Amino acid sequence: MKYLYSILAFFTLLSCSKEVDDTLYKAYSPAKIDVNGGTWKSFILASPTDVAISVPKLVTDAAYLKEIDSLKTIVIPGLTAAQKKSVDFWGAGAVLRWNEIGRELAARYNVPPASNAAGVYPVPNAADPLADPKFPFANPPYTARALAYLSIAQYDALVAAWKYKYQYNRKAPSDVDAAIKPLLPSTGIPAYPSEEAVVAQASYVILLAMFPGEGPFLKEKLAEAKNSVIWAAKNVGSDVDAGASLGAGVAAKVMARAKTDGMSTANNQAIVPDLIARSTSLGFVNPWKSQESPVRPPMLPNYGAVSTINFDRKTLESIRPVIPYLENTAEFKKDLAELNDIQKNQTREQAAIANYWADGPGSYTPPGHWHRYACDAGVAAKYSELRMARMLAYVGSALMDAGIACWETKYYYYSPRPQQFGLKTSVGLPNFPSYTSGHSTFSYAAATVLSSFFPENSAKYYGYAQDASDSRVYGLIHFRIDCTVGGQHGRLIGDFAVKRANADGAQ
Amino acid sequence: MKYLIILLLAFCFVLPVAKGQMPHDGIYMNKKLACGALIYGNSSWTNYWENQLFRENQNIGRLTTESMTAMLAYGITKKINVIAVVPYVRTNASQGNLLGQKGFQDASIWLKAKAYSKHGLSLHGVVGFSTPISNYVLDFMPMSIGLGAKSLITRGIITYDLPKHLYVNGSIAYQMRSHVKADRDAYLSGGKMYQTNQVAVPDAFDAALRIGYLKKDNQLELFAETFSCTKGDDIRRNDMPFMTNDMTMTTVGVYGKYQPKHLGVNARLSYVVDGQNVGQSLGLSLGLLYIINL
Repeated sequence: MKYLYSILAFFTLLSCSKEVDDTLYKAYSPAKIDVNGGTWKSFILASPTDVAISVPKLVTDAAYLKEIDSLKTIVIPGLTAAQKKSVDFWGAGAVLRWNEIGRELAARYNVPPASNAAGVYPVPNAADPLADPKFPFANPPYTARALAYLSIAQYDALVAAWKYKYQYNRKAPSDVDAAIKPLLPSTGIPAYPSEEAVVAQASYVILLAMFPGEGPFLKEKLAEAKNSVIWAAKNVGSDVDAGASLGAGVAAKVMARAKTDGMSTANNQAIVPDLIARSTSLGFVNPWKSQESPVRPPMLPNYGAVSTINFDRKTLESIRPVIPYLENTAEFKKDLAELNDIQKNQTREQAAIANYWADGPGSYTPPGHWHRYACDAGVAAKYSELRMARMLAYVGSALMDAGIACWETKYYYYSPRPQQFGLKTSVGLPNFPSYTSGHSTFSYAAATVLSSFFPENSAKYYGYAQDASDSRVYGLIHFRIDCTVGGQHGRLIGDFAVKRANADGAQ
Repeated sequence: MKYLIILLLAFCFVLPVAKGQMPHDGIYMNKKLACGALIYGNSSWTNYWENQLFRENQNIGRLTTESMTAMLAYGITKKINVIAVVPYVRTNASQGNLLGQKGFQDASIWLKAKAYSKHGLSLHGVVGFSTPISNYVLDFMPMSIGLGAKSLITRGIITYDLPKHLYVNGSIAYQMRSHVKADRDAYLSGGKMYQTNQVAVPDAFDAALRIGYLKKDNQLELFAETFSCTKGDDIRRNDMPFMTNDMTMTTVGVYGKYQPKHLGVNARLSYVVDGQNVGQSLGLSLGLLYIINL
């Protein structure tokens, strides 16, 4: 009976702490403030002053002093608990939080459309994004691209912001008036334009374009993010307004690139017969076939035509992996035998790795997984908003390039999945050709970039990449060769981002 | 529904049925008497409620969950019984390519006590504790063999004897369920991204009404059960289920036991008539029972 009471007590405790402990981030002072950040090479902006902002009022100007007075007499005394909570949340990092929002949206939109009564899979419609099926289907290539443009817009906008910050050198409110005690750590970075507002507005523009059904949600986040720096007494309203205007202007330029990058024809199903014909001519006896019922058209067959970020089309074709083992070769049979053996004797450890990296429907996909690792690394290194965005722009662009180059390879060969040879899966089967593995390509590309930024953690990142790569064999949906070659391809793709980073002036 | 009733009736006539000693009934083993049981269960569905949408899935076909359960009930006194249950479970989908899962699922131990008994009315209290006994995969629903949570179940039972060996039994239970550890390090629940492998499996209520015939060790019973989580999210459009789902279901069925001597058999047929975030399962179990005098 005593034992029973202790079980009861244990469960009472459990039920009291029913909420799970989510990852916690806290505000910090950046390790470096990078006075010369405004000279760093951006991705899309030709010059940091491509988008103009108005000259700020001097800190002695009556209009500015009125803003300071409003902080002291209205904002700070009237601060609510909800506003403080909001300051804590956004204070952890604007780039970090908007990246999280991007990942959350990706996860929410990452569900393959259901077939309708006629056995047809309706295509998501950008003009009616909340109808079933919702637009977009945020699959791995879509998410890689969305997060890449998000990070690039944040980075380019911050480079411009840094340029203006040190050009105008307008101090933070607490440095102007010692009576103001900000709720967030002082950074010493000039306050005009507000870097948080720059990031918020740029992120809002990109995410709204990528997730057009999320206007109300994003508007609410935008308002909260912009207000949080005023509630924290870190900025006055004019710092925020200038930041928002700059962020919007830069993001518009990034979206101009995104709109013409070839994504609009990525799902062109008309090219499929030609792809299959090429596959056959290359010697594939059983080109890829959808294993779903009803048969689902292949996912984004023309995504490989999207413009890459860090290298050109000629390079993409020159680094395309060579043809894999064909059916009936000894090497192919060996890979197939490995899968059959795992199907019979899958260990719990193998299943755990397969599930950890499955990143399937309802997840932020492998690109999102790597963005999370990148964010965590940036937080650990106490990166400024500028450094965080820069690092994510390289990781993100490498992931986007990996998606494009991998999809180009997949549809170049149109090779069959193991399920066409009788295998089952313990993670779910993606609906596109097998060779090469997207997980392997994404993961090695990201690990290569992260290893360059954080060489002390290189072994850890390549370890993750190898796990992600193995996970597709353990989950029975890729042949070993898909993963090995995908990984090698990913390294090459990552190297282009590293090369670019090494030449941007930030080192 | 008509089909169901015909099925239930057919079942009653075909199989000799009778009594059991279960965590939800008002029946006790006498002191120092033990009953061991080996029960085969087969539960399957072709249609399920994706949130409230009732649908089929051609990439699953019929999802079958088979179980082999060892059970032991023992009379500490004739008013206090302890029951232990160990199930082995395996799943299989008839179509598509989802790999079936198998393994020992959640073992449970129950203490049942008769608190009051007069004029045919009796009240009982049951406390049960259930925990996974193997590290089975949770992240692969609906193929996973369980939810992985430790549970503490507190149940109240009221029974009333009617003439001619008939009885009614009403019970209600609260199932406290622990967090579980997923293989993945992030998941979406209720539109929010959780960046942790800790998953809160929602607590649940269940309640049941049973009407039956009980004479000596023979029993025949009709039942209706309802199960509902206290909170949780819904399966999203065309997505797979997850441990956080707010599952609800209403089940009807018939149970019987026939135990002329030491050796006996029991059988249970059940059908989910309504639900949310669950499959419309048709379940059948057949058990061999053996009474041991300790």
